[in-house]
Amino acid sequence: MNLRDLFPRLTDENCEITSPRTIKYNCIAWTAGAMDRWWQPGVHWPVNSSRNDHGIGNLVEAFLALGYEECENGTLEDGFEKVAFYGSGMMYTHAARQISDGRWTSKLGQLEDIVHATVDALSGGDYGEVLQYMRREIAERV
Amino acid sequence: MAVLEFTKPLQDRFLELTKEWKSKTRHLSNVAQISLVFPYQMIIGMGPSVVPLILKELEKEPDHWFWALEAITGENPVTGIEAGDVEASAKAWIRWGKQNGFTPK
Repeated sequence: MNLRDLFPRLTDENCEITSPRTIKYNCIAWTAGAMDRWWQPGVHWPVNSSRNDHGIGNLVEAFLALGYEECENGTLEDGFEKVAFYGSGMMYTHAARQISDGRWTSKLGQLEDIVHATVDALSGGDYGEVLQYMRREIAERV
Repeated sequence: MAVLEFTKPLQDRFLELTKEWKSKTRHLSNVAQISLVFPYQMIIGMGPSVVPLILKELEKEPDHWFWALEAITGENPVTGIEAGDVEASAKAWIRWGKQNGFTPK
């Protein structure tokens, strides 16, 4: 099964594979900048959490703890890095991080990392829709 | 009380459900979403007799079998330092299986 079977809105033009497959980390870890664990509430998570809380609110709490704040949209903003959280119903399904050119990077479960042109490229199907954006000031490099 | 009879041998049924589960969930990141799909729930419903088969699968390829193993056995041998590390968690369960007679030592 290739990625376009899983994500009908992905095309050769709006998506680029950027890593090999691995089960070592998931999209939440990748969005937070980590590649050594599969982030999961109550198992490996930035805040104390029940293992049974898979709601979008728990994901927001986790990223608040990482220094992010809620924001309105995924428009590229100077001085900020943004993340997008997808959900279906009240359950979070996926997270993506914006890169400096305005595109987005995602880890697809235990498949590859990709860069995709828009958040909509992964919407629909099992990931549902983007329910929340957050942003964090980019630390100035010395 | 009705008795569930498998039309195929247990191992064939398990492998069929495993294949279906993996193909439906490889792109997912939320373990709840991964575990709530029908084939995975069917495997949990098969009970303790599938534990050796799950452990054998874990030896071949680390995957998100931990929810099923805990649901079936009521155990969780994964320590805090191993939590979230899929390979280390798989090893902890394989070790537990050997210690508790589910797989040969």
